[in-house]
Amino acid sequence: MTPPSSAAPAPSDDGAATDAREHATDPPPVVRATDVTKIYTRGSDPGRIGRLLGRPDAPKVRALESASVAIEPGEIVGLAGPSGSGKSTLLHLLAGLELPTEGTVTFQETDLESLSTRQRTRLRLEHVGIVFQHFHLLESLSARANVALPLVELGVRKRDRRERAERLLERVGLGDRTGHRPGELSGGEQQRVAIARALVTDPTLVIADEPTGELDTETGRRVLDEFERIADDRAVVLASHDRPTLEIADRIVRLTDGTIRGDDET
Amino acid sequence: MGGLRAALGRLRVAGGITVGQLRHHRLRLGLAIIGVGLAVLAMTLLAGVGMGVLETGEQQFEAADRDLWVTAGETRLTPAGGGGFENSLTDSRSVAAEMEGQDGVANAVPLAFETVYVGTDSDGDFQTFIGTGVPGTGSIVQVSEGERLSGDPHYAEGSYDGERTNEVLIDEETARALDIEIGDTIHAGGSLAAARNNEFTVVGVSPTFERMLGAPTVVMPLSELHQATGTTQTEPATFITITVEDGADTDAVQTALSESHPEYEIRSNQEQLEAVLEEQILVLAAGGALIVLALVAGVALTHTLLTLVIFQQRAAFAALSAQGISSSLLVASVVGQGLAIGLIGGLVGLVLTPPAVELLNRIAAAVVGFDGLVQTAPEILAAALAVAIVIGTIAAALAGWRVSRTPPLEHL
Repeated sequence: MTPPSSAAPAPSDDGAATDAREHATDPPPVVRATDVTKIYTRGSDPGRIGRLLGRPDAPKVRALESASVAIEPGEIVGLAGPSGSGKSTLLHLLAGLELPTEGTVTFQETDLESLSTRQRTRLRLEHVGIVFQHFHLLESLSARANVALPLVELGVRKRDRRERAERLLERVGLGDRTGHRPGELSGGEQQRVAIARALVTDPTLVIADEPTGELDTETGRRVLDEFERIADDRAVVLASHDRPTLEIADRIVRLTDGTIRGDDET
Repeated sequence: MGGLRAALGRLRVAGGITVGQLRHHRLRLGLAIIGVGLAVLAMTLLAGVGMGVLETGEQQFEAADRDLWVTAGETRLTPAGGGGFENSLTDSRSVAAEMEGQDGVANAVPLAFETVYVGTDSDGDFQTFIGTGVPGTGSIVQVSEGERLSGDPHYAEGSYDGERTNEVLIDEETARALDIEIGDTIHAGGSLAAARNNEFTVVGVSPTFERMLGAPTVVMPLSELHQATGTTQTEPATFITITVEDGADTDAVQTALSESHPEYEIRSNQEQLEAVLEEQILVLAAGGALIVLALVAGVALTHTLLTLVIFQQRAAFAALSAQGISSSLLVASVVGQGLAIGLIGGLVGLVLTPPAVELLNRIAAAVVGFDGLVQTAPEILAAALAVAIVIGTIAAALAGWRVSRTPPLEHL
């Protein structure tokens, strides 16, 4: 699916117009967050009756405050910061898993807010690969079936699904484990299956939330090698507070208390 | 065409996920199936009890081999002691004689059920039983062991000065309760004093009234029951039972008797059963409540089980949903699980039903003397299976829909 195009705002002054001309040949960022703020409600809303009965409004938590970041094709960006700093929130916003309370997130120049939930789901299917800290593979399916599952949604034929899944598992070093179920694989192998699943639709953006959080140092290193290999021409965003994980990043965005405190190339 | 092929392909994958999830989580699958099976079993047994009450009652009336039943007023059970029907039909012998004189009536027999105290020793403990009085030799009473009653000479045309037989028939439950057998003596009467003064000898065993009433009984000549309960002046009876002559039209006899005796209710077996049941509204309400409860419990249990099964998979489904797998594919796989668990659990419940019915019937026969108290019918079994399948599928679909509607991050 090609993201529906959104009308880009017209440059408002000469300087901006010049800037736009200078970058006309640059490929646009894969995803861009502009002044995004995310506020969560803790607990349930009391509703009208609850308010009449004097139930206080649920407390709000400001997880992210006016954050702006652009992810270019081919780069690996690390999101660093302590727990509760807003890394995961920013990651989820970039992946279209959530919408910001304020600000905009554009994916290949499409404002995600303009898409319906179904369209955003389809966009993730076609353009975003996600790797979770806890792998989240279907225990009942083989590694090959887990990897091939997203292709079902794209209407890919069974034989092609199988071939593509096996090729990717081969690429992540699990060519001889394609028929094994997750329970028969080590943590590192499961994470590599998850990486293969994230890549199977050939996404332009791969996001990973603490991808080595469940792995020992050696296994984590091998998984990070995979991330370096897959970067090629796609963008990778890793959220972690683990130094070795962040070392593979081309750029590190540092967050503290929901605010971006730094955006530095490594 | 391509769209159809894609849809079929997705359905196959959903089916594959369904089978995979079921096969992989065998313990969970087994427990869910057992749970649904028990829900179905509860439904079939409780509904079977309700049906059995009606069927058994009708069979007992049929087994009495009477054509018509005459009552005066209500035929409700009295609350006292071991029970008994309201004996509101007074001067029963005269009324029976009048009715026996009408065309088409072969015989008219008054039957009285009274609560009596019974004990094996005049100075010992007494228990309450249903004392049944029958006229003559009690030809309507089936004797399985020993001898019939020898007659009712004590009545002596209403003078009550004829010789007493002091004979009783008992049933197996009474024999067990009192630890007595044929040849033993017992004391029986409408009051403790009367019981101490009236000694009877057990001459035979009869299951007739135990089956009819579902309670232990002692059967004695009608006059001796009236004497033992102090009711010789009014000669009350619970019913007058009428057998029509061979070839006579039962409906016509019923109509003629109703016209000649408008003060009495004259009913067929079916009408009498309905009349008894109508007056036992609490029993009916309890039976109906049991069936409704069975249904509600079955639905609730099945729904809860399937919801739990699906919710245990929510993290994996949320991860797939986050990756762009559509909710329809996930819901389809979940519906497949609900359908499979509902179907297999339902079949397990149906397979367990016959032995459970047999077991309950044996217990019921041993404890209360009713045979076939729990009965099943194809309609009950089909309804229980349908509930398991439909509710299982709907519950799973709802749970899957809720999981798919929840933002995936809430489950990750």
